[in-house]
Amino acid sequence: MISTIITMVRKELTDAARDKRSVMAGLYYAIGAPLMMCGMFMLLIGQITSPEALNITISHSERAPDLVKFLASNEISQGDDADRKQIELIISEDYASNMANSLPAEITLIADNSNEKLQSSIRRLEKSLQVYSAEMGSLRLIARGIDPKVVQPLKVVVEDQATSDSKGGMILGVAIFMMVYAVFISGMNLAIDTSAGERERNSLALLLSHPVSTRDIVLAKIAAVTIFAMVGLILTLVISKIAYGFVPWQELGFSVNITPDFIALMLVIGLPISLMAAALQLFVSFMAKSFKEAQSYLTIVLIVPMMLSMAASYNIAPDTLQWLPISGQMQALIAFIKGQEIPMLQLALSSTTTVAIAIVLAFGMERSLKSEKIVFGL
Amino acid sequence: MLHGKVNHMGNNPSNKISLKQLGALMIPAAAGLLLFSQPTWANTDNTSTAESCYVEGLSDRLRCGSVSVPENYNLPDSKQIQVHYVILPAIKPSFPSEALLAIAGGPGQSAIENAPGFDKIFSKVRQHRDILLIDQRGTGQSNLLECTGEGFEGALSINDSDVDIGAESQACLDGIDADVTQYGSNTALKDFEAVREHIGYQKLHLYGISYGSRMAQLYMRQYPQALSTVTIDGVVPMQQSVLHIGDAISRALDLLLQDCQNNTLCQQQFPQLATDFAQVNDRLSQGPAISQTRDPLTSEPTQLTMTQAKFMGAVRMALYMPNVRALIPHAINQAAQDNFQPIMGLYALTINSTGIAAGMHAAVVCGEDWQRFSSEERQQAEQGYFGREMLKVFDQSCPIWNIPAVDSDFSAPIDSAIPTLVLSGELDPATPPSWGEMAMEKLSNAKHFVAPYATHGVAYQSCGNDLIAQLVSQGKVDELSDECLNKDVRRNFYLNASTVEAIPQKTDDSVPASAQGADHD
Amino acid sequence: MIKVSNLSKRIGDVQALNDLSFEALDGQITGLLGPNGAGKTTCLRTVFGLLKPDNGHAEIDGIDVAQNPVAAKQQLGLFPDPFGLYERLTPREYISYFAELNGLSRKDAKNAAASVLGKLHMNDIADRKCKGFSQGQRMKTALAQAIVHEPTNIILDEPTRGLDVMSTRVLRDLLKDLKDAGHCVLFSSHVMQEVAALCDQVIVMAEGKVVAVGSPEQLCQQTGKTSLEDAFIELIGTDEGIAA
Repeated sequence: MISTIITMVRKELTDAARDKRSVMAGLYYAIGAPLMMCGMFMLLIGQITSPEALNITISHSERAPDLVKFLASNEISQGDDADRKQIELIISEDYASNMANSLPAEITLIADNSNEKLQSSIRRLEKSLQVYSAEMGSLRLIARGIDPKVVQPLKVVVEDQATSDSKGGMILGVAIFMMVYAVFISGMNLAIDTSAGERERNSLALLLSHPVSTRDIVLAKIAAVTIFAMVGLILTLVISKIAYGFVPWQELGFSVNITPDFIALMLVIGLPISLMAAALQLFVSFMAKSFKEAQSYLTIVLIVPMMLSMAASYNIAPDTLQWLPISGQMQALIAFIKGQEIPMLQLALSSTTTVAIAIVLAFGMERSLKSEKIVFGL
Repeated sequence: MLHGKVNHMGNNPSNKISLKQLGALMIPAAAGLLLFSQPTWANTDNTSTAESCYVEGLSDRLRCGSVSVPENYNLPDSKQIQVHYVILPAIKPSFPSEALLAIAGGPGQSAIENAPGFDKIFSKVRQHRDILLIDQRGTGQSNLLECTGEGFEGALSINDSDVDIGAESQACLDGIDADVTQYGSNTALKDFEAVREHIGYQKLHLYGISYGSRMAQLYMRQYPQALSTVTIDGVVPMQQSVLHIGDAISRALDLLLQDCQNNTLCQQQFPQLATDFAQVNDRLSQGPAISQTRDPLTSEPTQLTMTQAKFMGAVRMALYMPNVRALIPHAINQAAQDNFQPIMGLYALTINSTGIAAGMHAAVVCGEDWQRFSSEERQQAEQGYFGREMLKVFDQSCPIWNIPAVDSDFSAPIDSAIPTLVLSGELDPATPPSWGEMAMEKLSNAKHFVAPYATHGVAYQSCGNDLIAQLVSQGKVDELSDECLNKDVRRNFYLNASTVEAIPQKTDDSVPASAQGADHD
Repeated sequence: MIKVSNLSKRIGDVQALNDLSFEALDGQITGLLGPNGAGKTTCLRTVFGLLKPDNGHAEIDGIDVAQNPVAAKQQLGLFPDPFGLYERLTPREYISYFAELNGLSRKDAKNAAASVLGKLHMNDIADRKCKGFSQGQRMKTALAQAIVHEPTNIILDEPTRGLDVMSTRVLRDLLKDLKDAGHCVLFSSHVMQEVAALCDQVIVMAEGKVVAVGSPEQLCQQTGKTSLEDAFIELIGTDEGIAA
């Protein structure tokens, strides 16, 4: 009965809204994740666009004063001891004499390339050295009466079809991934609380002893968890919309725009996913004997949709994936932000599959609530 | 007089010296006949609506379009020409009603062909605003007024003093199907304004480099209401004919000789540089040095006729770029020892790569600079080699082009309160700082910065581009500071064909074995 | 009226109910007495349809629980063991929620909850969250839930377990009131005193079967013992699992 379902949904939501654990789990993620991501990108962009002075150890800098001057004009220098990176550049003893004789002049770069903190600095140094080397090479050719063009046999003209919006697709891919994840995270605690938790607190048997059909109970619980998931998604979208606007993406050469169209599409696509997420989480939680057990099961089970969604964002899986639930929707969303045509067939199919999975899980739950083993944990 | 903007490698070098970069060098006046510009332009559509397109050297998808304007604004119903433009769209269009209009030099260079350079220096501006590039009428794709001439092979062997400038000019004029009197700056300015209105920008930020600074100043004079800020870089003041460039070149050359003198390594290696230079110059003024050589590109055997014009032109053009400038002492020294290979290398860079539309160039210079050059100025200019040669060329060609002189008020200083940044490079071989100072005369809301280590085009080789971005975003000059321009980015001169580092005293003839082995790595 | 006929139920290796039959009549308090593990809870759960009997059936006011669970359950109130409170809800919310589940409209449910709260003298705690309630307050809340929709039949599973003396007395009075109002009250217990004091009819269960049925006096007579306790031990053959 609809009114019974509404009553139950209302109660579940009231109950959940008072459950700090459920609310916080959803809120932390929905608000925190986009903010954290934006914060990280702001830091990253700051580093990329205004590279700090890179201080390294240059041994025997007196052997190559021009090279040292060149590096210094690129903000790479010996600098203070204190903030010097673990990168050493040794200029060989015969640098100047080899240079004078047009023989390769040796410089040794000593650094740990597996150290992530150093990698970008190492690349920057290497690039500067290449530029120096290339510039000298060209001028040496000119000094010999040869046009430097002769050592550039190929001219590759690149016509990049990306727009500044679609170039942000990589970032939005991650953002979409986080939004889809928000659907799963936001409802998860409620799902556990209202199933495994309800049984643990002995209210499940009481509920079942009332004149309510198990189907109504299942539908009400799915509805409540779905609403929570959707609220989480909406929050994530709103926070993202605001927060992403503050990140100076343009400094990386692209824009990230969470348009109203995208928000609408995300909500439409997110609904079936929320339904499935709710059904899946409830189903798994009902199987678990306790709240804790449900949590650990879910952590494992959620890897599957996450993998599907990651596979779609990073394009690491075969094309057949785009027909699967979640990754199909993800790909449609990515296509949308890249300004490509939305693959409607895939989207329809994967959404249908998603809903179908939700329905199957709902039936499974309805049956399991009639099972003594599930209800009493026998 | 040709001013152009040069893509410097400056303190922000790109990976390679590509000819494309060097190609934007403007050609010396004496070589004004070698007008072989062959724009590679082919990528934009000939349609009037803004469509997505690509420009060589930029992988980005751009917007291209054109506006149909009368060739002669006094006869609006007569011949129409298409003025093409390209928009480098803002990454994040925070100010859709504004754009930065970057105006190319020359006169005669295509702004659109220089899109990669503009994109690079204006990357910060482009984060929030469109960059608008217009091929000024007579350049690039906008009814190009070019002259066809001999190819590269001829450039090495030709004796340019034999060239009949008058005949060449006549041939060029005959080959052009246009009313060349309609290609002056003021007319072109109307096109710019038409393009602005066509696209719908309410305000423009201007950047004019070299000759482009004249267009920017005219814009300030004619349409101040359309402008937010102006940056003029490598400035040609309205008060002055560009034919004064001869003095600027001599000045830059003297600065180079002085720099070498003040640099211990350079001084030790080339103690007689000034003498060497005078000696080569003197020798070539008697007649060309002829030798057999190999073509810089194809390596085919060919004759090298080294004339004074080629020598001086190569040196002059090398002065535009700080890193190429470093090779000049060695090149002069070698020339004094009768080895013209380095000079030929420098000269080869200037051939075929200027992208200057000679017809448009003549239309501007003959109408706006040649005729206003007083006899007094003429006498003074003829004291120097460059001034003398340049006048010789224009004295022969301008009567053939027959462009009417601009009104005398053309030369009035610009009186404006628009926030204006004036940039000059101390080492500039075309537009020295004194020219920038002259442009400041009646600019009431302007700052003039002189970058001590920059040549022509400060925005390309120092933090000038950051200052422009700051001006554009703040809309005022008050907070701009020239501190960053003073960063010492000087490098060593080339001491031989291979090195910029001190050459060790040879104690042993043999080269270390390890170094030989490394040669093949 | 609650009627159980020939119920059999096997849980695992244990025959929890073995051909169990009895009746609990309206206007009477019926006690289901048996040692731990006798099958009391299984029996009650079967009556609620939570467990499916292998054999036999349970009827509420003549409605077969297995065939029409919703209608049957509407005539039932359950006082469960343990209570199964929603700790984040207030008694008022909790009670009216279950009233709604039993078919009352939202408004009616609120009124019914208010009236029950008054009847059980719970107004002082009605709008506090259940978390932190004493055992007595919990018991009252659970009881209110069981009777809010005024079912004809009320089942109590070990209702006095863990209750202090005062609460037990309140509960007893309530059960008597319900009986006087004509309800059928069925409760399970393994506490002899309680059963003796309250019940009109005692059903003694052991190993899933009814061992004896009758009023406490009848059971004493039947076994020839003076106390119900002795009678009970006599009936089931052991005193294991029984509390005095």
